[in-house]
Amino acid sequence: MFVLIQFLILVVLFSAQTTFLENFSIAGVTPDLALIFVVFCGIHFKGSRGIGMGFTVGLIQDCLSGGLLGVNTLSKSLISFFFSTLKDKLMVEGLLPIFLFIITASLLDGIIFYVVLVTLFKGAVPGSFLFSSLPIYAIYNGCVGPILFYFLDLNRKWVLHKIPNPYLRQS
Amino acid sequence: MLRKRIKGKRLITLLSLLILFSLVLMTLNIKRDQSPFFFESLIVTIISPVQVVFTQAVSSISGVFEHYFFVVNSARENKELRMQIDQLSQEKNELTERVKQQERIARLIPNEEPQARQLTVATVIGRDATQWSKVVFIDKGTKQGVYENLAVMTNAGVIGHIIQSTGTTSKVLLITDSRSAVDSLFQGSRVTGVAVGTGTNAVKMKYVPMNAKVEVGDPILSSGLGGIFPKGLRIGVVSQIIKMKQGLFQDITVNPSADFSRLEEVLVLMP
Repeated sequence: MFVLIQFLILVVLFSAQTTFLENFSIAGVTPDLALIFVVFCGIHFKGSRGIGMGFTVGLIQDCLSGGLLGVNTLSKSLISFFFSTLKDKLMVEGLLPIFLFIITASLLDGIIFYVVLVTLFKGAVPGSFLFSSLPIYAIYNGCVGPILFYFLDLNRKWVLHKIPNPYLRQS
Repeated sequence: MLRKRIKGKRLITLLSLLILFSLVLMTLNIKRDQSPFFFESLIVTIISPVQVVFTQAVSSISGVFEHYFFVVNSARENKELRMQIDQLSQEKNELTERVKQQERIARLIPNEEPQARQLTVATVIGRDATQWSKVVFIDKGTKQGVYENLAVMTNAGVIGHIIQSTGTTSKVLLITDSRSAVDSLFQGSRVTGVAVGTGTNAVKMKYVPMNAKVEVGDPILSSGLGGIFPKGLRIGVVSQIIKMKQGLFQDITVNPSADFSRLEEVLVLMP
């Protein structure tokens, strides 16, 4: 049941991401719901289970993108690893911490993408990427993040209440 | 202490495995041809029905709003259109005469009719799941005869080409993607160049010599070279020209003819 709920969340998030979210783009940038979900899983999943979710989300994102297969698998895995490892040392209540976590995650995501494509694979990245698209992407994600976190947290509390499972943390 | 150390080692092993797997995936993706991995097809097959439902819902909602604004604007448009009709009917008479003249001339010269290309109408069901590439998904795939390297366009002009096909869906790389390059020419001067995507909503026309006469508003067409896009498809119009003193080529920005923010139905040019 828990796995089915996570599967449905992923289907809805990716469907929204690839359809109507484009209508809310600012300077050609839309929020990355998958990234926000990965940060949420990294923080709220027990042990290293969040890393597995980050890997899965990254792989799905790669399949639904026209870019190099594996870039998002790598970046989302590393981001979930980062938050999963540090979750016991982080305070995750309140808008500001969530805002800052997601900005950090977005910057990491963009930098990993840039480094992999430019350094390892000599790929073409728009010149304005690091200084115009990436900051907008990070701030936009930071603003949308707390809203999505709120709904994901409601779901988490409901799941914890209704379906006892070994995946989610109590707080 | 020992437990902590074991946990740390486990995490490092996990991290190394994830990095290794991602790098293998990237390398395989570069080395192999364009056919999708089995899990790519599986994920697209699972997501695409939901994408269709979302797209239809959004389309219905935006349709209601568009209809309202349409009614508000229609009275003013009606007046303008009546004036245009008068003007166009006069032009039509002149052009009919010219067409007849051309037909007479054409009869004198033996000419092979260019083969009409078959078109398949497809609906855009989704966009790229990341920020960093410009790709759309359409609801036609190999079952409908849609394969890699077919050109895709709207009535306004070229939008891109198919880069990957599964059974019922295909990925279209838009001409605005930074990996896209279309051999093109200026309709008026016939000077050639390459229309390259920038990753934004504009396209750059590269390798146009400094001495080529180009003006803002000049239409750009596909040249037919490269084998994907047939000759004469509209790509866009020149929106900005910068001539650097030191450079060999002009820096030309092109506004694509197709509106990429409102892609709904597209045409796939079949082989």
